[in-house]
Amino acid sequence: MSEPPLAVEADGLHKRYAAKVAVDDVSLSIAVGEIFGILGRNGAGKTTTVELIAGLRKPDRGTVRVLGLDVRRDRARLRQVLGVQLQSSHLHAALTVAELVLMYGTFYPDPLDADELIESVGLTESRRIRFERLSGGQQQRLSIALALVGRPRVVILDELTTGLDPEARRQMWTTVETLRDSGVTVLLVSHAMEEVERLCDRVALLDAGRVVALDSPAGIVGRAGFAQRVTFRASEPVPDGLLERIDGVERVRADGDSFVVEGSGDLLQAVSVGLVRAGVVVTGTRSEQATLDDAFVALTGRHLEKEESTS
Amino acid sequence: MTSVAAHRPGPRAWGVMLISELKMTTRDTAGLIVPFGLPLLILVMNAAAAAEQQIAHGRTALDVYVLPLVFTMVVATTGVINMPSFLAYYRRSGILRRLGVTPASPAMVLFAQVAVSVAQTFVGIAIAWTVAMLAFDAKPPVSIGAAIGVFALATAAMYAAGLIVAALAPTPNSAVAIGLALYFAIGALGGMFGGRDSLPGVLATIGEWLPFGAAVASISAAWIGAPVAAAHLIALAAGVVLGGVVGAAFFRWE
Repeated sequence: MSEPPLAVEADGLHKRYAAKVAVDDVSLSIAVGEIFGILGRNGAGKTTTVELIAGLRKPDRGTVRVLGLDVRRDRARLRQVLGVQLQSSHLHAALTVAELVLMYGTFYPDPLDADELIESVGLTESRRIRFERLSGGQQQRLSIALALVGRPRVVILDELTTGLDPEARRQMWTTVETLRDSGVTVLLVSHAMEEVERLCDRVALLDAGRVVALDSPAGIVGRAGFAQRVTFRASEPVPDGLLERIDGVERVRADGDSFVVEGSGDLLQAVSVGLVRAGVVVTGTRSEQATLDDAFVALTGRHLEKEESTS
Repeated sequence: MTSVAAHRPGPRAWGVMLISELKMTTRDTAGLIVPFGLPLLILVMNAAAAAEQQIAHGRTALDVYVLPLVFTMVVATTGVINMPSFLAYYRRSGILRRLGVTPASPAMVLFAQVAVSVAQTFVGIAIAWTVAMLAFDAKPPVSIGAAIGVFALATAAMYAAGLIVAALAPTPNSAVAIGLALYFAIGALGGMFGGRDSLPGVLATIGEWLPFGAAVASISAAWIGAPVAAAHLIALAAGVVLGGVVGAAFFRWE
């Protein structure tokens, strides 16, 4: 018996456009049933990576197998098992939701029921509306429905919730969780950390075309170098070395009367007790968990989302 | 191991794609004005004078010169301008790219595009001929079979030219520009703006070998009952083969 194939197996992918290296030696192994996130800033190579995985572009070097199928050579079979929702692709503008779901369904041997699928992405009310008259969020939901209509076993969702309002975003997350429950492997491209933290089993962090970290969201957050951060203002001088001696404190930064304390464990409790014992009165105390963004800064020196204005 | 059967979309998928294209076309009313309106305009402008002028076999200049020209214009417009523009729009908007990640084949899209476009052509011609018969007493071709055969070949040649435009145009906008330029070039050399006789000898010969001129000349011959020149048929057939090969070789989803 041979091992069951991985959902996605990318090996040493490399892609260059003219002067720019978009994807630089990317290797990924995604197990069947995983929700795998590709996270990175704009221009990090996320979209090129999934286009290579979807067999839409030819890599300069490297190979991709999806469920054991070579994406360049077994295209006909690949298209049966791989559903793709692409960023920035459009549909026949003058066709309605129902017409498009019907048409895309005919491409597959055993499509999902059109009405049920439309219902599952919340478009039942809009089923007779033309694509060009749908809102951005509705177009996005239709696009996801079309990626799912052929009962794929692996789905690529590129910027799933970009441009969606919070309500629609949560609906979409529920849809992805339902997919996981039915055993479908999901490759999720995103620059929304909340989305990745909530949905993904594992995340590859891409920066400048390279994988700089590959781990569970919690594992990546762990690379921020701290787990907790407590900030406060001291209304009187804090004795030297007081904070550093508190259990769990790893790093202290002071800027005038503002303090940032990073560490692990129940940091807020430990710092508060330590300050009270020393008789130091503080105000504006806040405590926060390290986030994927903190990890991103630690790994790449830049924020993930701050510079995002366009997508 | 995974066992995935390679499945090709069946006849129902082709049918649904065809119906979808039909809906797209009929919902885009602006796109119908040129193939239906322009030939009608040329017809009406020339018909009154030409209908008076007898040529042979009871056929007038309207039957022998104007109608073949009008029919050729219809098929050249839909084949060389509209079809590549539609394909270019599909490519620019990412529709082809989206279809490219489904099991749908490029052949399905091309088939549906060409079929719908040919249907437009027939409607345009039906309108023009109906007006010509009712208002200007136009007569059917003397050699009806030859006329139909020649027209079918001319249609294929025009669409083949359109496929070359669609396949080779570097950008979507250039597809429209190249289509228009090609249309007017083969039209001018083929007698769209006055007979080929008034062109310099070399240009007239080139025009005669291009699909527009060859189509007008062949349909005109069939209409009056004269034998269709083999050179024209060869020119049209060569155009079909060339367009099919280039179109298939250079077609791309984006």
